[in-house]
Amino acid sequence: MKKYTITVNGTAYEVEVEEAGVVASAPKAAAPVAAGATTVSAPMPGKVLSVNVKVGDAVKAGDVLMILEAMKMQNEIMAPADGTVSDVRVSAGQTVGTGDVMIVM
Amino acid sequence: MSTQERIEKMLKKAEVILAAGGEKRVAKQHEAGKMTARERIAALLDEGSFVELDRFVRHRCTNFGQEKKELPGEGVTTGYGTVDGRLVYVFAQDFTVEGGSLGEMHAAKIVKVQRLALKMGAPLVGLNDSGGARIQEAIDALAGYGKIFFENTIASGVIPQISAIMGPSAGGAVYSPALTDFIYMVKNTSKMFITGPAVVKSVTGEDVTQEQLGGAMTHNSTSGVAHFAAENDEDCLQQIRYLLSFLPSNNMEGAPIVETGDDPMRTADHLNTLLPDNSNQAYDMYEVIKAIVDNGEYYENQKYWATNIITCFARMDGQTIGIIANQPKVMAGCLDINASDKSARFIRFCDAFGIPLLNLVDVPGFLPGCNQEYGGIIRHGAKMLYAYSEATVPKITLVTRKAYGGSYLAMCSQDLGADQVIAWPTAEIAVMGPAGAANIIFKKDPDVEAKTKEYIDNFATPYQAAMRGMVDMVIEPKNSRPTIINALQMLESKRETRPAKRHGNIPL
Repeated sequence: MKKYTITVNGTAYEVEVEEAGVVASAPKAAAPVAAGATTVSAPMPGKVLSVNVKVGDAVKAGDVLMILEAMKMQNEIMAPADGTVSDVRVSAGQTVGTGDVMIVM
Repeated sequence: MSTQERIEKMLKKAEVILAAGGEKRVAKQHEAGKMTARERIAALLDEGSFVELDRFVRHRCTNFGQEKKELPGEGVTTGYGTVDGRLVYVFAQDFTVEGGSLGEMHAAKIVKVQRLALKMGAPLVGLNDSGGARIQEAIDALAGYGKIFFENTIASGVIPQISAIMGPSAGGAVYSPALTDFIYMVKNTSKMFITGPAVVKSVTGEDVTQEQLGGAMTHNSTSGVAHFAAENDEDCLQQIRYLLSFLPSNNMEGAPIVETGDDPMRTADHLNTLLPDNSNQAYDMYEVIKAIVDNGEYYENQKYWATNIITCFARMDGQTIGIIANQPKVMAGCLDINASDKSARFIRFCDAFGIPLLNLVDVPGFLPGCNQEYGGIIRHGAKMLYAYSEATVPKITLVTRKAYGGSYLAMCSQDLGADQVIAWPTAEIAVMGPAGAANIIFKKDPDVEAKTKEYIDNFATPYQAAMRGMVDMVIEPKNSRPTIINALQMLESKRETRPAKRHGNIPL
């Protein structure tokens, strides 16, 4: 709340101005990823066909983590490095956009 | 002065120059894991073949007391020699002399070998290791860069120009390599950027290390500025020798024919079973390349960038070819901005130097998305159409599987001038993906599923194209090598001309 004094035709008026609350909520930010974690993100837009791993699974580099149907192809999404799956953010049937984080290791 | 004294004076002068920046700086260069300019040239060229030019060139700067400074060899060693017996010109910047900084006469030495290489029709190899412009020389240094860029451009498409970044290359210095055909970067020791981390920090606030900003793998995998990565100096120089073995010396000569000992009639039975029965599953295009080229040997350009398309040199029956291949294993082998840029440039290099093109096609389409559209996939994708149409070298297209819509044209269909189009029985040459097409055609049909299946059986094949002569032959996959080699032999006498013009206007 802010108070202003406005003079009109020689008469001073005291007015109060209130800032309305910000209505539009900020776009939902992607959950942060812990530093040092490996993320597997979608290389292109598509639909998740199946997820082969769950949280806690140990995987080796090159293991197929999930199948992403995109560009008329069932693309095998492979683990970029050895590690343990700490988060699976997608499920079968979900559509993803380029760069969406799908799995955190 | 007696003749003997004169000879001794010359030898003494030479000794000073050969010592470069002196023991201390040379030791420092070695500690950094780098070779000196002369060691690099010795490793690049055939033993004992190097002939040095302009050893006694000296700067003529008198600003800021520079006149008292002796800079042995002007900080760059230049000359010529041979690689596998063939003439090659070379310059190597010497970081031990004033940080390899470029002044007027340093540039003049480089420009001289550039002009000689062009006149003699021999490749030019530039070994870059320089802190940048010698600021004391002011605009004389700047003009030096300008002259080098100009010669790079004039020689483009006439002689192969190869740049190796073997230390820093910052600011204007990056543009000479950028104007050449291929850039090598040595891991850990090479850096390339327009503005370094300090300037980036002050302007944008971004905190970034030199390695992250412009290291070998940054430019090999993220920016696509570099074409090859090397483990160390020795590896880099050996790789350049290897690359030169595939290339002609200039645009009027053919590439060397090598006796590879691989039977041109050799078949590859495993190609008949390489493709999965389900055409929505991936396979490794490298398997196809290895199976058809001589001894399975190929040298890959931009191996770490835009990996959804493969570009490499290989030989078939001893003859160098350039291969452009979709890789179904990466992003379904689709074409995107980077894949278009990578392949268009490779196609144009091959065409400039008379190297036949082999296109291995399994392409589902252009990648959809705002990123791609906003990034200008239209003008980038157009580069492939342009490069293929413009190319007059032999062009052979082998369709292994998907060849859908505009992306098939961008992989050199017959309409873009492919001299021979070969298809495997698994080829699906169509105006678009068959499921999508059936969805449009049979949208209101109650029996859409059965109709779609029927459509796929009839239209996701090579025969619609073959019926119109858009495919010259359908072959068993195992016979790919003999078929392609036969086509290459048939195309040896190919002559194709284009209307005279100043130059075309490729979309950039």
